Amino acid sequence: MASERPLLDASPRPPPPPPPPASSLLPPPQQEPPLRADRLAFSLDVPDPFRREDHPQQQQPDASRSVVVGDPSAAAAAAAGFAGNAIRTAKYSVLTFLPRNLFEQFRRLSYVYFLAITVLNQLPQVAVFGRGASVLPLAFVLFVTAVKDAYEDFRRHRSDRQENNRLARVLAAFSAPGGGEFPPKKWKHIRVGDVVRVASSETLPADMVLLATSDPSGVAHVQTVNLDGETNLKTRYAKQETQVRFSQDGSVGGVLHCERPNRNIYGFQANLEIDGKRVSLGPSNIVLRGCELKNTTWAIGVVVYAGKETKVMLNSSGAPSKRSRLETQLNRETVILSIMLIGMCTTASVLAGIWILNHRGDLELTQFFREKDYTTGKNYNYYGMGMQIFITFLMAVIVYQVIIPISLYISMELVRLGQAYFMGADKDLYDESSRSKFQCRALNINEDLGQIKYVFSDKTGTLTENKMEFQCASIRGVDYCSGKDSCGYSVVVDDLLWTPKMAVRTDPQLLKLLRSGGTDEETKLALEFFLALAACNTIVPLVLDTRDSKQKLIDYQGESPDEQALVYAAASYGIVLVERTSGYVVIDVLGDRQRFDILGLHEFDSDRKRMSVIVGCPNKTVKLYVKGADSSLFGITKSSLDLDIVRATEAHLHKYSSLGLRTLVVGMRELSLPEFEEWQLAYENASTAVLGRGNLLRSVAANIENNIHILGATGIEDKLQDGVPEAIESLRQADIKVWILTGDKQETAISIGYSCKLLTNDMTQIVINSNSKESCKRSLEEALATAKKLRITSSTGTLSPELASESAGITLALIIDGNSLVYILETELQEELFKVARECSVVLCCRVAPLQKAGIVALIKNRTDDMTLAIGDGANDVSMIQMADVGVGISGQEGRQAVMASDFAMGQFRFLVPLLLVHGHWNYQRMSYMILYNFYKNATFVLVLFWYVLYTAFTLTTAITEWSSLLYTVLYTSLPTIVVGILDKDLSKETLLAYPKLYGSGQRDEKYNVNLFVLNMLEALWQSLVIFYIPYFAYRQSTIDMSSLGDLWALAPVIVVNMLLAMDIFRWNWIVHAFVWGTIAATTICLFVIDSIWVLPGYGCPRKLNAFMSLHAMVPHFVIKAFSEHFIPSDIQIAREIEKSENVNLVNRSEVSMTRLDDPRR
Amino acid sequence: MNGQAAGSSSGGSGDGGAAPRRNTRKPKYSKFTQQELPACKPILTPKWVISVFVLVGVIFVPIGLVSLMASRKVVEIVDRYDDACVPPNTTDKLAYIQNPTISKNCTRTLTVPKDMDAPIFVYYQLDNFYQNHRRYVKSRSDTQLRDASKANDTSTCDPESVANGTAIVPCGLIAWSTFNDTYGFVHNSKNLTVDKKDISWKSDREHKFGSDVFPKNFQKGPLIGGKTLDPNIPLSQQEDLIVWMRTAALPTFRKLYGRIHTDLKKGDSITVALENNYNTYSFSGKKKLVLSTSTWLGGKNDFLGLAYLTVGGLCFFLAFAFTLLYLIKPRKLGDNNYLSWNRNPAGR
Repeated sequence: MASERPLLDASPRPPPPPPPPASSLLPPPQQEPPLRADRLAFSLDVPDPFRREDHPQQQQPDASRSVVVGDPSAAAAAAAGFAGNAIRTAKYSVLTFLPRNLFEQFRRLSYVYFLAITVLNQLPQVAVFGRGASVLPLAFVLFVTAVKDAYEDFRRHRSDRQENNRLARVLAAFSAPGGGEFPPKKWKHIRVGDVVRVASSETLPADMVLLATSDPSGVAHVQTVNLDGETNLKTRYAKQETQVRFSQDGSVGGVLHCERPNRNIYGFQANLEIDGKRVSLGPSNIVLRGCELKNTTWAIGVVVYAGKETKVMLNSSGAPSKRSRLETQLNRETVILSIMLIGMCTTASVLAGIWILNHRGDLELTQFFREKDYTTGKNYNYYGMGMQIFITFLMAVIVYQVIIPISLYISMELVRLGQAYFMGADKDLYDESSRSKFQCRALNINEDLGQIKYVFSDKTGTLTENKMEFQCASIRGVDYCSGKDSCGYSVVVDDLLWTPKMAVRTDPQLLKLLRSGGTDEETKLALEFFLALAACNTIVPLVLDTRDSKQKLIDYQGESPDEQALVYAAASYGIVLVERTSGYVVIDVLGDRQRFDILGLHEFDSDRKRMSVIVGCPNKTVKLYVKGADSSLFGITKSSLDLDIVRATEAHLHKYSSLGLRTLVVGMRELSLPEFEEWQLAYENASTAVLGRGNLLRSVAANIENNIHILGATGIEDKLQDGVPEAIESLRQADIKVWILTGDKQETAISIGYSCKLLTNDMTQIVINSNSKESCKRSLEEALATAKKLRITSSTGTLSPELASESAGITLALIIDGNSLVYILETELQEELFKVARECSVVLCCRVAPLQKAGIVALIKNRTDDMTLAIGDGANDVSMIQMADVGVGISGQEGRQAVMASDFAMGQFRFLVPLLLVHGHWNYQRMSYMILYNFYKNATFVLVLFWYVLYTAFTLTTAITEWSSLLYTVLYTSLPTIVVGILDKDLSKETLLAYPKLYGSGQRDEKYNVNLFVLNMLEALWQSLVIFYIPYFAYRQSTIDMSSLGDLWALAPVIVVNMLLAMDIFRWNWIVHAFVWGTIAATTICLFVIDSIWVLPGYGCPRKLNAFMSLHAMVPHFVIKAFSEHFIPSDIQIAREIEKSENVNLVNRSEVSMTRLDDPRR
Repeated sequence: MNGQAAGSSSGGSGDGGAAPRRNTRKPKYSKFTQQELPACKPILTPKWVISVFVLVGVIFVPIGLVSLMASRKVVEIVDRYDDACVPPNTTDKLAYIQNPTISKNCTRTLTVPKDMDAPIFVYYQLDNFYQNHRRYVKSRSDTQLRDASKANDTSTCDPESVANGTAIVPCGLIAWSTFNDTYGFVHNSKNLTVDKKDISWKSDREHKFGSDVFPKNFQKGPLIGGKTLDPNIPLSQQEDLIVWMRTAALPTFRKLYGRIHTDLKKGDSITVALENNYNTYSFSGKKKLVLSTSTWLGGKNDFLGLAYLTVGGLCFFLAFAFTLLYLIKPRKLGDNNYLSWNRNPAGR
């Protein structure tokens, strides 16, 4: 029974001040952040970019808000600035829609250009097209976009309305009728200071501080899946003070001081003044909007942040916008085209000037010019030479504007949308285990996936599954590693059998030792070791019913997979964590249920790299249990005592990490009473401070965590994901360099490197592991020298370094750690590192901080033209994902921060192979072709217009009706390219996977470069000449009228450019057929329709179909294509032939490994 | 042991309920979503290339031959008369044409080079006349031409929209400058009648020019541009105007004047009595009278036939050339050894 009572009450000599009620003496355990080896170094300090701004140290005293609990009106009076709980995600209202939406749309430069042209066309002297006709395309585009935006906004309005009108039970003021009750109230009417009651499975309406819960100890469980994607339950606590007060008389009260609203979902600092006391509140006392209450019948909380000030709303920002490389290159070509445009306009206007100069005497009497208007006697529409040239120039700009293809931007958007759809629909990118589809979060960099040269990968959760399994234990210098069978262990509670959900393989020797019940030192310490594992954590055991009514299942819920693994391990050895409340834990120690009071908990932080709990044991001793990284714990051991054990443990740790296991060291210390009291005082002071609490707590922890006895160490296996070695092998064959950036230890990183086939035994490893700038410099120079030596011995000197070293079969691997990177990144040594890294085919960075990850990505990104891709799953990968050209998030175990920051999100690392090699290749090929084709088709059309101007006395008449010339880009030619851009495949998925080297075409910019652009322009020049001059010569000196010839010149380019497209299409399925031929038919029909409108000049024109004679223009393209495909074939061409002859399955060594990727998993 | 094993397995199944992730449904398999629609993947194999060239040649050469023959069959008489009809010793041609008191009658004699079968088309051809000039093309009002009630709809007709304060019908530079030379033909001292019916497009007569719209206030301005119209005949019957108003595409053009329904024999001589009214002298344009027979292809023009012949011939040549090339430098299709990374022997 004594064990059930608080420790200090039972102490023989009570401390001088009268003991306060037990519950208030027990400081609440702080929620501990996930403890993971690779997070140990840096986790909480820089988990995301938002964090720095609200670091507690930088907080100003006035940065807090006061909330009167249960009295929203007082809170509102105190500071009028509190937001109401109504949220508004919609961008526009009915009134602001038009101006705001137009403003947003015109932020694109191309639209401004379009608008300028349209405005120019409204000047009467310059008007080329009719007013209506010229406004129409721009208006159409603006209208479509506006409708899309309006629809999206309407849906946002609707969901806002639904959200705002949800009901919650809010405590009515005592003075009001029904005081003390919780009548329902709409969410939007909830205010800061309201007290809200939430039942199980209900969603929380605002950020609230818990006041009381159905659990007597004040525990509430919430699921934060909407907030950070983590599905495990998180435990939150109501303070005993409020819990007790509410359970006594149902009353609430007090004044709460908390920080200003901020985006940090893992941080909260406040204190509560209640009954004349100050109680400190931390992140474990707040529940956030959007979370769901679980496993708790009800909970009562006071609203502290409402509406747009809630953390979930503050965090809802989209991914950063990136621009694809093709789009950047496209700008270069746009400049060239602009120069062409200016050239053409200048030519036309100069020639017009010369013509007027030559005829200036005749202008008055010439019937088709007639300079004078005789009713007024003045010149009609003639302003002299100079002005005439200028006007001609402006008109030329309007007529030739389409050479810069505005519609291209819209087509690109549509094509990307289609590509994104197909990537999402690909069953090979669907992850069965997490049931997550591939997500395209950024819609404008699809084609970048086809040009990647560097992949930067996180390790944990990305290459590995982040499902931890306890493998090895080293206890007091003895290694217990031979776990074989996984016999579960169960405890009996109230005649029911409680079994932990997962059983861990146990070492029989260790099991025997524990079960022996011996009292020797060895057994006792082994027991302590497992007690430390079971107690020193934040795991909450949830008891689940099973189909068997006699059996219950214990599910350990917690934020850190490492901790779960450790607790399951302890349970398998018979030390079962049964219950956890805010003040104590109940542990079944080999069948004997014992209660341990949790007197204090020191959170993990990145400086200490460890966490500790202070436990009051049933035998009235006070113990400190610590667990953390080896470097951190060996620094605070009582080394004089345990020298042998430390050495043995270090050896075991080394062994574990070379097996690829994640290691933690566990330590313990018994506290004397004075020590404990001193600590308790400091701890309480620190934990009630509002400002700077984190630092205070840290120093308290650092003071008590010393002279630790090492109990032992653990080794946890982090299993590789499926298909990772094969995927890395494929990427490397595709000449993509894979770099691993991990927070793990060097040995762990290297062993993972071996197990995923990144490192092989024939590689020369360069290890840089230095502690000063000088030594870094030296190692880098040595590394460079080694690399040079290797290159000289292995190559004949002419090849590029990469080729040389690879062809010689000697590859370099660089292994560098975070310590060295501190001295290298952001200094002049960067350049050296870059040189070394370029020489190496594999780079492994271990123990790196999140910002260093971004720094390494930047190292490559800023110094080369190569495209970089970063892939990761955790908050510590966010900076790297945002830095890289393409960021991929793994929607894995570690929450959604990485996914939120990423451009693409998927379930498994191995999906990178189909994503890059197949979809990336397709996207790049399709988009490149589409851009070039759009340039070509518009140039062809504009050049036809240009040639005609040479025969109209340079007056910019267009034989083609204005409708046809406007429809040309929009309707006549754009649909097939969009369809081809979405659907065409140069090679099948199987071929691309079988020959990873085919990916090189994107890396080498083979499908889009200046040469191809020039080639396309020459093609346009030739075809426009043919299109123009064949009818010209055929109808010279005939009775043909302008409209008939204009129809010919409108239809002929449509036929010719579509035929060219048809020649270049790789795969003809029925959709492509329908669009290509359908477009030609539709154009013909359109021309007939336009010519049956009597107002238009082309009314009744025959002879359009003669346009087919322009097919002469196709001959050169066909000849060049036939010639180059046969005599200078590209790899892709040969692969297509292989695919056609269907011997794709018989070839290539990589086929063996790739079949596994294609198979559905198991 | 067994019970515990069962417990852990049931725990495994409970996992799904405990972890409701963003459960997206597995994409359904369909050939469309997996981009695996049955498709034809054409590859330019030698067989294909050669057959395409041969096929094109086989189609184009006959077309070319037929067109060329048709064009050669056409008999054409072209007579330039603008210079010849100016009385000798006239120094200022412009003054001559602008002076209404000088008689503009002129006689030309043409010799028929080959037999010409009826119908013989009579054209006038203007050179260097930019009917497609921007100022000119725009200067017309289609609504006014069609609808009697829209007579005042002349805003687009500047600088020929109003004269003496009232609207001109038909307004605009095009109508104002209608060609007004006339031709009369004498063959074997017998007048050849020129049929001026149906020289314009039927659709124009029926829909573009109103049958109740009559010329009004036409050519009343200080400068007369061309033909004057009979104010009692509706526009839909003023076929010369209708022909003229279908503006030509190029600065050298022909327009139909009428048809002669009499066969002419080789060596026949025709006397043309013409009135040389139209002013092309101000911009040094040329005027020509053209008599021509017609075929299914239209008038005399060798270009299309030659173009088809050339391209067709070229295709035969290319078929031959490619055959040679394929024989000289054959390449096995789909051979792994041609892949760039296999081409260089390893270890280089």
